[in-house]
Amino acid sequence: MSPQSLKRAAILMVILVMAFLASWELYLRSDGADHSFDDGGPLFSVQRAQVYLPQDQSTVSIGSSRIKFDLDNNTWKELTGETPVQLACVGSTPLPVLYDLADDPDFRGKLLIDVTEGLFFSERAGSAENPLKYIAYYHDLTPAQRASIILNNPLESTFVFLDKDVYSLNAMLDKLRIDSRPGVFMFPIFPRDFERVSEERQCYMAPGFVQDSNQHKTMQKNWEILGGGPTKPPISGVALDSILHLVKTSTDKIRARGGDVVFVRTPSSGLFWKREQMGYPREQYWERILQTTGCKGIHFADDPATDHYICPEFSHLTPEDAIDYTRHLIRHLRDDCGWQFTSLHSM
Amino acid sequence: MVFNSYTFIAFFIIILILHNLPFSWKVKKINLLIASYIFYAAWNPPFILLLWLSTVVDYFVGRALFAQTNLTKKRLLLVLSLIGNLGMLCFFKYGGFLLENFVSLVNLFGVDFHPAEPNIILPAGISFYTFTTLCYTIDMYHKRSKPVKSMLDFSLFVTFFPHLVAGPIVRPPQLVPQFETPRQATTKQIIDGLLLLSLGLFMKVVLADSMLSGTADSVFSFAGPLATADTWMGVLAFSGQIFYDFAGYSTCAIGVSMCLGFVLPENFRYPYAAIGFSDFWRRWHITLSTWLRDYLYIPIGGNRKGEGRTYINLMFTMLLGGLWHGASWTFVAWGGLHGLYLWLEKIIRDKFSKPSTRPVMATAGVSLNSGQSASFIYALFTFFLITLTWVFFRAESFTQAWEMLGSMFGITSDGAALLRSIDIIKVWVIISITVIVHWWMRDASVLQLAYKIPWWCLSIVWALIVLAIILVQESGSAFIYFQF
Repeated sequence: MSPQSLKRAAILMVILVMAFLASWELYLRSDGADHSFDDGGPLFSVQRAQVYLPQDQSTVSIGSSRIKFDLDNNTWKELTGETPVQLACVGSTPLPVLYDLADDPDFRGKLLIDVTEGLFFSERAGSAENPLKYIAYYHDLTPAQRASIILNNPLESTFVFLDKDVYSLNAMLDKLRIDSRPGVFMFPIFPRDFERVSEERQCYMAPGFVQDSNQHKTMQKNWEILGGGPTKPPISGVALDSILHLVKTSTDKIRARGGDVVFVRTPSSGLFWKREQMGYPREQYWERILQTTGCKGIHFADDPATDHYICPEFSHLTPEDAIDYTRHLIRHLRDDCGWQFTSLHSM
Repeated sequence: MVFNSYTFIAFFIIILILHNLPFSWKVKKINLLIASYIFYAAWNPPFILLLWLSTVVDYFVGRALFAQTNLTKKRLLLVLSLIGNLGMLCFFKYGGFLLENFVSLVNLFGVDFHPAEPNIILPAGISFYTFTTLCYTIDMYHKRSKPVKSMLDFSLFVTFFPHLVAGPIVRPPQLVPQFETPRQATTKQIIDGLLLLSLGLFMKVVLADSMLSGTADSVFSFAGPLATADTWMGVLAFSGQIFYDFAGYSTCAIGVSMCLGFVLPENFRYPYAAIGFSDFWRRWHITLSTWLRDYLYIPIGGNRKGEGRTYINLMFTMLLGGLWHGASWTFVAWGGLHGLYLWLEKIIRDKFSKPSTRPVMATAGVSLNSGQSASFIYALFTFFLITLTWVFFRAESFTQAWEMLGSMFGITSDGAALLRSIDIIKVWVIISITVIVHWWMRDASVLQLAYKIPWWCLSIVWALIVLAIILVQESGSAFIYFQF
């Protein structure tokens, strides 16, 4: 092949790639797709690096998906003037992140710990897998990876097809739902609009999900497949004491350095809330966390203003309710926990 | 910095622009050298010091070795270089392993010795650049080539970023002359280079990372016995992953160099079409196998000291080759198994092979004379035996390796089913296509094939490759061979 033909081949290749990507992007947008960031190690690392902001300028949240859906960043910023630092990990226990922050002598900030009992007290190795992976990613971050994160963010903010959970080749192959072999677990497919991830790691439901009761049912079924909320205490006795001891040691370390820790029980509803009450009686778990650690706690069920939310799929708030809940949470932090927000706007 | 990252794309565009500006050749080489240090420092900046140390020591020792006429002094200089290079490698790569084995040994004799666990970080690519610098000083000792004239050229030879961290392992005569005269890539070289870079990224990002690594990781990290089908799929997935990961890197490295006007040696030649194990090592990690042949196997006697010594030399070379890959006895076992295969092949070849005037295509007495279908069956059998060796290569321990082999051959029963149908389909399709393509292409090259097809057809295939790289959305994971 002559150099001229090679050049033609390269030019046509570029045109074909551009044409396909432009068409794909336009098609997805017309189908209601929106930007969603890959909620992996790089995004976690960006947030993790912000925990050293002065105490009066930021609050760090750890936990599982509920705090990511329920704490609205814009409302938080607007009302407190602070930067919310989101370190919660979906489907995971917050304990590895708590231990990591406790062992970091430079962390002296305010910390909110979301307690979703089934995950907080989980003894399943998988529930710590992602937090451990992300923490390791942050600590081992190379200069090249830092640069890649900086270069990647504008791309993810621009193209909706870069939603890895929905439009990567593997995600699309998974959607084929080829029947699996007997005894092999198939992770359920979540509706596309159930979860979008912002650059600051906040999760939110898209309008397509909020307005569609069929999708609510799909997600409720998915939660059933994934465990459906506990019906009996999976952890007690020495194992529970041991976790509580580790939690206390960690919160003590943070408080000894001048930081502060508040536990938060974010809302759930319907079948989930019923099962959670059965599986994790409040006095045996929530109250024991507070007693053992001596930290303050905010339980959604204690306030008539927050005890009535209907979570569409039993477990997470809609964006609208998240705004309302965040306002109340800030009020509780100020009034009940004595947190000072230097630029607190009227609520 | 890894090829499969946005950082590298930005870095490479800047380098290409700088390299094509009207600077003097010396300035261009300085640019390339600085770029290579940045490329390396993007992992862990302090380890640049090791690279400098290795470069400076070997540059001066190499010159002294070439000029020295006193044999004793010459040997001393060679020992100095070997201690410097292998000492660093031993400390960083094998320090923990040696200590662990020393502790086990003294404990065996009743000595209660429990030192603190060393926390040594392995500098990326140390095994590769150590072998690069070692071959230079050994060549100087034997006066096989002339010393590199300038420190700049020698530094660039050691540090040139495409090959620095995972090869191909280059010899001075392959690369140094290319730095001596000004070079600028032609349009054809740039397009060829970009095509190879795309292909290498496709192999790494799409096939190794996106399609195969998940299955291999799940199977090799599963605690407990697995069903036979699952274990086979996991091991086959790893066979594909390790090839596409490493060959992908080499293809990228060759492509990147080509865009800058330099030629790096071929490192893979469709190894899963090998007929026999000598043939496999002529196709897999070619620059390492030839390095081991020229700087280890032949110096210790090769096949010149009788039949018995040939077998011992062969095994010794393969055991060390295994250890080069990682500080663990499982890697030694992997090398040992290859050594054993080579022994058996040699026995069969010596016993059954008849002298032929026609070119023998491969080894083990099998030639194309045997017919295409018979040769293909031999190639499949070779692939099957090679696949078994990967169990030791990837397993964390011998216990795990034996358990997996037990499961693969039905010795262990009641193993759990782990993989979904889609995972099995992916592995099956990719591995089948890989073996067929390797067989079909075994004596050809990608670029030759690309030149044969119509230009618009090349465009479509190339576009599909690039689109697959973009759409799999896997980036930034390290290449497996960086850890070696």
